[in-house]
Amino acid sequence: MNGYTGLIDDYTMEKEALSYTDLQQWMQGMILRQGVEPGSKIAGHTIMDVVNASGRLSAMRHLDIYRGSYIARLRECMRNQFHTLAHALEAPLFEAFADDYLATYPSQSYTLNNLGERFPAFLEETRPDAGLALKETWPDFMIELAKFEYAISMIFDEAADGDTIMADEATPDEQLKLAPVLHLFHHSYPVCKYYLDHAQKKEPELPFPEESHCAVVRQHYKLGLFVVNRAQYHFLGLLQSRSSLAAAMESTGAQFQINMAGTIWEEWRKHFIGSGFFVRG
Amino acid sequence: MDIAANINSIRQLRNPGLGLGLRSKHFNHILEQRPAVDWFEVISENFMDSGGRPRHVLRQIAEHYPVVMHGVSLSIGSTDPLNKGYLKKLKALAAEVQPLWVSDHLCWTGVNGLNTHDLLPVVLNEESLQHICARINEAQDYMERPMVFENPSTYLTFKQSTIAEWDFLRYMTEETGCGLLLDVNNVYVSSFNNDFDPVHYIQQLPHQQVVQMHIAGHQHCGDYIIDTHDRKVVQDVWKLFNLAWQLTGGVATLLEWDNHIPEFDDYHAELLKARQYMDALAMDQLTGTETKQPYEPGIAVSNPVDFLVHSMEL
Repeated sequence: MNGYTGLIDDYTMEKEALSYTDLQQWMQGMILRQGVEPGSKIAGHTIMDVVNASGRLSAMRHLDIYRGSYIARLRECMRNQFHTLAHALEAPLFEAFADDYLATYPSQSYTLNNLGERFPAFLEETRPDAGLALKETWPDFMIELAKFEYAISMIFDEAADGDTIMADEATPDEQLKLAPVLHLFHHSYPVCKYYLDHAQKKEPELPFPEESHCAVVRQHYKLGLFVVNRAQYHFLGLLQSRSSLAAAMESTGAQFQINMAGTIWEEWRKHFIGSGFFVRG
Repeated sequence: MDIAANINSIRQLRNPGLGLGLRSKHFNHILEQRPAVDWFEVISENFMDSGGRPRHVLRQIAEHYPVVMHGVSLSIGSTDPLNKGYLKKLKALAAEVQPLWVSDHLCWTGVNGLNTHDLLPVVLNEESLQHICARINEAQDYMERPMVFENPSTYLTFKQSTIAEWDFLRYMTEETGCGLLLDVNNVYVSSFNNDFDPVHYIQQLPHQQVVQMHIAGHQHCGDYIIDTHDRKVVQDVWKLFNLAWQLTGGVATLLEWDNHIPEFDDYHAELLKARQYMDALAMDQLTGTETKQPYEPGIAVSNPVDFLVHSMEL
């Protein structure tokens, strides 16, 4: 037994040979197509026309190893990228959504980190109450959570200047500058709290609608997730859009009827510096 | 690029010893303990787009250890055009970490702009050989270095194949001057699945072009084997490693472990077993490689990739 059995001599030209290009189209089609059977054909070629049987396996079973691994492999990656959503939806429903998503939007990227990029939009497109006048609320939460989880995975790895110095209590106000990796989120559900509770293995229940805001900051390459209130969200958003500290305080004070010059700012300042929101400018 | 110059470059690559795959689970241990590992192999795609911790860690590790870049997405066998954006990032990463060499697989990952994220088998015939050699030359010209290609684990063969895989690999080296990464476990897995003799396969390779070996564990499912990279190396694979070590004269060797990844010290200990299999064994110890292994029917995933998705730290 020194060579491949059945490779060189046994190929009978019963059908016109597939070109190299067509053969790859054929195999990819067979892997991605659902419900393939031994008699299934692509470009007029069945599995037995293209794939060798071996001493132990039929041609179909050989191909099935690739077909089965394809979906299992990518489903696992989806579960890793959306682990909190998978908990919220529970495994069978998450798998059904993930499988449908992968069938509808097969990966077009060389990197798996983008695998779930269109998943939130897919959940929106396929929400079970689509077309109904009376909408259910839980799909809204799931879609917000999916967007948030994907965003977090991108923030974890986004490029940023690594040479910043974190601000501390002694840093003067005029030198406070927002951390280079800081993102703000506004949700109609307590998405960040749910995410954090799940991360801390608290088995959170599905939440009711409740407006929420949060900040995600990366410090020393680790992510920090912080629930913030509306006024803080507004204030940090102004700083992100390059308002000065004084202008952001004035706007926030006016809009939320709070005296930013007093103890409020002292508390926020301490909290924001302790949470890594500020670096030295 | 000059084929003879490539061949010469490949043959002058030094053997850095016994290496481990760099996995995020072990980042802190490696940075804090600086374990006595000869070198690390990094999955190129885990780092080439990273602007966060993975790239930051790699920079530090590359300062203290020799590094080899191993890719899974070049798709050298695909009939789609080579992805220039991918190659650009690959080259930029190589410029930054200065790897000993850059490797990928003899495979394709998708066509029509899609990516299955699998290492799909290539039909082995004159048409594919010409196509792939042209692409290797194109990639090597762009990268300005000879590249190294690994034999993948395969789970089917095509009726249209007319060239044995070991010959195909040899022709590749002759036409392009590329190097080979001999995955001994893949030879074993493919030989079981596709009815060929793994000893003959290894004997027929162009041994001077082999710059690296992979060893790994696999899952035996009864009537087929899946290359799961999730357990210790079986005795039969160690025997094949011994044969390959003798025939190549000893090359850089790496233990792959991509799923159910153990603690660093256990991973390293499994790698160091390779030292026991470097001395010559008698031929009768090398034949009859198919020994009884426990069968594990059920779902096993070939080429596990979930470790390619970043594990985040909060």
